[in-house]
Amino acid sequence: MELKFIRIIAKQEWNSIFRSKIPLALYTVLLIVSLLAAFTGWQYVGKFNQQQAAAREEVHEHWMKQPERHPHRVAHYGYLVFREKSPLSFFDFGLDSYVGNSVFLEAHRQNTVNMSEAGFSNGMLRFGELSMAMVLQVLVPLFIIFIGFHTVSGLKQNGVLKILLCQKASYLEILLGKTIGLTAVTWVLFLPLQLIGLLVGTALLSDTVNSESFIRVGLIVLLYGLYFLIVTILVVAVSAMSRSAKTSLMVLVLLWILLFIVVPKSAQTLGNSIFEAPDKIAFEHAIEMDVSKEGDSHNPDDPHFSQLKSSTLKKYGVDSIQALPVNYGALVMQEGENISSRIFNNHYDKLIGIYKSQNSVSSYLSFTDPYLAIRNISMSLSGTDFDTFTEFQKQTEKYRFEKTKNLNEIHLTQIKYKNDGNQKVSAKNWQQQKEFSFQSLSLTDNLRNGMINLAALLIWVLAGFMVLNFISSKRKYQL
Amino acid sequence: MKINQKVLFLETRNFLLGKTVLIGAICLILFGIYGFYHGSQVIDRQQKTIGSVPLVQKNHLQQIVAHGKGKMVGTTAYYPFFYTANPASPWAKFSIGQRDINPFTLKVKMLAIEGQLYDSELTNPLTLLVGNLDASFVFIFLFPLLIIAFMYNVISEEQENGVWKMVLTSSESISEAILNKLFVRLAIIFIISIVLFLASVLYLKLPLSFPTFRIWLVTTLYLFFWFVLSVIVISAGKSSSFNATVLVSIWIFLCILFPGIANVFVNNSIPVPEAAETAIKQREGYHEKWDQPKKPTMEKFYAAYPQYRKYPVPEDKYSPGWYYAMQFSGDLESANSSEKLFQKLDQRQELSENIAGFNPVIAAQQLLNKIANTDLTSHIRHLKSVKTHHKQIREYFYPFIFVETPTEDIRWDSYPAYKPESYFADSITNGILAIILWSALGLVISYLMFQRNFIQIKDTQNA
Repeated sequence: MELKFIRIIAKQEWNSIFRSKIPLALYTVLLIVSLLAAFTGWQYVGKFNQQQAAAREEVHEHWMKQPERHPHRVAHYGYLVFREKSPLSFFDFGLDSYVGNSVFLEAHRQNTVNMSEAGFSNGMLRFGELSMAMVLQVLVPLFIIFIGFHTVSGLKQNGVLKILLCQKASYLEILLGKTIGLTAVTWVLFLPLQLIGLLVGTALLSDTVNSESFIRVGLIVLLYGLYFLIVTILVVAVSAMSRSAKTSLMVLVLLWILLFIVVPKSAQTLGNSIFEAPDKIAFEHAIEMDVSKEGDSHNPDDPHFSQLKSSTLKKYGVDSIQALPVNYGALVMQEGENISSRIFNNHYDKLIGIYKSQNSVSSYLSFTDPYLAIRNISMSLSGTDFDTFTEFQKQTEKYRFEKTKNLNEIHLTQIKYKNDGNQKVSAKNWQQQKEFSFQSLSLTDNLRNGMINLAALLIWVLAGFMVLNFISSKRKYQL
Repeated sequence: MKINQKVLFLETRNFLLGKTVLIGAICLILFGIYGFYHGSQVIDRQQKTIGSVPLVQKNHLQQIVAHGKGKMVGTTAYYPFFYTANPASPWAKFSIGQRDINPFTLKVKMLAIEGQLYDSELTNPLTLLVGNLDASFVFIFLFPLLIIAFMYNVISEEQENGVWKMVLTSSESISEAILNKLFVRLAIIFIISIVLFLASVLYLKLPLSFPTFRIWLVTTLYLFFWFVLSVIVISAGKSSSFNATVLVSIWIFLCILFPGIANVFVNNSIPVPEAAETAIKQREGYHEKWDQPKKPTMEKFYAAYPQYRKYPVPEDKYSPGWYYAMQFSGDLESANSSEKLFQKLDQRQELSENIAGFNPVIAAQQLLNKIANTDLTSHIRHLKSVKTHHKQIREYFYPFIFVETPTEDIRWDSYPAYKPESYFADSITNGILAIILWSALGLVISYLMFQRNFIQIKDTQNA
């Protein structure tokens, strides 16, 4: 194999693309669309986060301004947490519009995260959202198809391929040259744009830019580069296997529809049919059953709580709950909270497990569809994926539990058992409580969650070159 | 103009012999069947859940009442949930719309409603993002691709392999030859759409009533629009590759890019900060009452329910009547932002319907969702009915709360039953009109282009 030939062919491919008008026209359209997408995305995320921050501050202010209250009153007053979008979500919207934006945290109850944008939107959202990532994932491959479908098949049609093959160039060298030329064009046209967009957007949206944000941006650009390479190999391979440019265009467009529209949709609906998740009623019913099995604080004869009572009395060496130095009501309440929170978390983890199995279908199918691979990994790195949202939900539940526990503690020690309901404590008690702040997943977590998809991308690259090698060895594809 | 039957027959045979027709039609029907399966699966599961509601409700109430023995209604009434349900219309299987996103078995307590109205259903967000492959998806997204596959090479292929010249010399009229070709394709598209539609009627057990006819009308007009669109492209007289590229680009523009941009536009021009505001206001409105004198709270309540004024509400201690009056205040104080929220959502709907006037793809999807009662407007109607039900529940229990009644003395299950919204046949004229107008405009354009590019052409070279 001679590098010289590869280089000449790559260079020739590069020149021929920049010579004709159609690629330039298509690129202009894509450029405008992706700039528009980046700008509106950035504007929207900025506005949205401002709105959420304002609501967050309002709630915090209300919390701090509470007068003297009974701690259990405060536990029911609860707290509202507003989800803010990750800085990179302007690039890849991911699941952001389909997950809730606010959650009410209160004693005794785990509420759902509500008010998703999808819930306030009519059907238009379902056509797909226009984000920069969408342009790069879905439309750029189509661009590569349009500029590259004739790259080999065109040479067959006009007989140039035969001439090239007679001039000592091997078919593999030609295929590699074509791949490199096309890839170089796509990289030059899109990656710098993406890099600048990501850097500017991140810098403007996040308060702290650290080395991790740079690594994230770098990784995203690198992976999209790989993705473009894979698509280009596919285009060159199909072009090399087709007898005419027209056939290769038809096959490629068909392939695009299959890989970008049909497979993703079928994969997800298939996953949902295989792994059936409980609906809300069944989910809540199962939790209720488990909780009532464990112990019922309302029932004076309940074994769990009568045991709690006798052990508490023994611990303090008294014979009635009135004589206890602590508030027994608060103790029971916290025990109820411990039980329900533990059971909820168990069921919730199971539910998330089912959802993950549903989603794994599309992860494994990324070995047959590179679009799924880049879609999933891009969401992960942008912090708009399933795991990030689950993490948000878990952290809010943990925060709810800690907050309630803390209030029960105040109730336990500062409120007398007798005439419980009429007492109040100073607001200082809960003013020191930490405010909720979401700790997003670390880069390593994101990468671990996207492991299968990363592997799929790498295997696609290797397999792609092997396929090119295979095609070049078949005489029938040279004709 | 007389259409030569023999030519028409030959043209039909010629077209049907090509592999595209058979493979394309089979693929589409297969996707159709999968779409039917998926649609009925999603909706059947929802209906099954809805079917389980009465028993869940009964057991739940029994349990609560058993716990409440010996206590007053005012105490017990805090606990029970009252379920509502938004049953799917028979056409929801055809077009799932927003039904997978919005909750369909909302449950409410007697507490302030605004904090309960927006509870979400448990769903896998990735599934929501990817969307449904239902019958409406097959008709709106996939069928146009089949039309493109049928149409991109209508004349261009014959020009490319030299047959067209023969056609020109042998046929009496060029326009007749072109019309024949188009007519054959239109007829086959029509037949496939009828087959697919009838299959959906049978599989999804759509009732043979007016809404089913409306769905048929929308899909047929919509497919005709795509036919016209591809006629325009081929009337330009360019090569097959060019036609295919342009048609696929148009498809991407109308089905992906345009709605994507429109969606951003709608969200940006009508933001809904009221969503968060309602939640905050309701919570404050209720909770601050605990720290305030009871009289003003009660006065607000009496303004709506003067009949309870005669029952004493002590200023110095807790009473259930006061508790529910506080909850009521929470709703009163958030009523404004809640109303604004609904208004904004109506505005969003209106704006997107206006936008749909420029894009038959959006128009068709909105029409199908509207006919199936699976759009946002239908969900808002449901939310309003939940509000009404909440009011009925409150008003049923108020007398027992104010006149202190023991839990076991009242019938807990004879509260007014929830009445789900019945099927709402909204007007679909505007959307239909938009599709028809665009198609008509397309026909005119393509007629003129054919005149210019094919019929009046002077083939000077071969003259």
